[in-house]
Amino acid sequence: MGEASKVSRYLYTVLILFIIWMFLTSSFDPQELVMGVIFSLIVGALTYEVFTEKGLANLNPRRITYFVAYIPYFIWAMVMANLDVAYRVLHPKRPINPGIVECKTTLTNNTGKLVLANSITLTPGTITLDVKGDRYFIHWIDVKDESVEGASESIIKPFEKFLKVIFE
Amino acid sequence: MVKRVLAIVFILIIGLWMAKALDQVPFGEDRMLVGKYYLEHVKEETGAVNAVTAVVVNYRGFDTLGEVTVLFIASTGVAALLWKKRKERSAKTEGSVVLTTGARILLPFIMLFGAYIFIHGHLTPGGGFPGGATIATAFLFLYLTFTLYEVDHKTFEPLEGLAGIGYVTVGLIGLAVGGYFLFDWIWQTWGVGKENIGRLLSAGFIPIIYTLIGIKVGTELTGIIDNMIKEPEEGGQ
Repeated sequence: MGEASKVSRYLYTVLILFIIWMFLTSSFDPQELVMGVIFSLIVGALTYEVFTEKGLANLNPRRITYFVAYIPYFIWAMVMANLDVAYRVLHPKRPINPGIVECKTTLTNNTGKLVLANSITLTPGTITLDVKGDRYFIHWIDVKDESVEGASESIIKPFEKFLKVIFE
Repeated sequence: MVKRVLAIVFILIIGLWMAKALDQVPFGEDRMLVGKYYLEHVKEETGAVNAVTAVVVNYRGFDTLGEVTVLFIASTGVAALLWKKRKERSAKTEGSVVLTTGARILLPFIMLFGAYIFIHGHLTPGGGFPGGATIATAFLFLYLTFTLYEVDHKTFEPLEGLAGIGYVTVGLIGLAVGGYFLFDWIWQTWGVGKENIGRLLSAGFIPIIYTLIGIKVGTELTGIIDNMIKEPEEGGQ
């Protein structure tokens, strides 16, 4: 997976920035649109080198479909996670069994690793402490399996199957 | 102990004294003299919907020029105090992949949002100073996450100066066209955007000045960060 050409990366950055601009202004006034294009072009020129590696290849329909499907899946996991933690807080015996486990991921892309780390932090009583290469160090509120494989299976796998398609 | 008690007593006396003075000012009553004039005339005189911006840039333009000068002096002062020929970053550890990737991805969004704030200064709360500070935040991110990151000084400092010169030039054109410094020539002489009040291309020179201020504040705060985050090389003091 090499880097895309500069033109493709630049166009992708400008496109994303322009979409964000439309959300910020929430208006189709031609003046706003023209200004948005100008600022997207300028900011894109300054930042596209750090922003994206794959450029327009990110707009692959398969990736977008998986991304759109990932959002409700993730929100559902987040709601369940918060209810779970609320249960642990309110339970008189406070059923916690905290510990730090190590997990392995098959993701190689940095953006994918970032999204995975954030997804882990926002869901069932798990917090990403550090990421080194393909290893994740995760604080788990209720350790069920201390081995690397077992922990990866229950923490990382549910997200990885989506992120693998979106970012690899 | 005695010192502390004396200090507390002293602060209490000052507080009571100020509360007593403020007690005389009625709250929520109409006491505006100049304020009323601003609110009633701001639209046809400046074209801005945001009255604060109009006051800051148009009616009281000298104050803003003064603030920009203060910031420039602060930036120059920090640079002068911390001046050393060869400087290097003292940070030794790069952030984790989560931090660096997060900063990379957020960078364009923060910069775009900063630009959004300063270009909409005459319509929404904000303006050149918050917009510039937001842009500087993007650079602060880069400085904090990457050990070797450094802005391109060959373009950064000239850009800062050019933005300041641009502001004064706009004011001087006003002097030539309308007879006094910071006269809003785009609005009052040309009448650009008269039919556009409330839309983006209106309000005379406010968007132009705020764009310049945004660039200036952004580059200046970044320059201050750049100066303070670096240490003289081994052998220096």
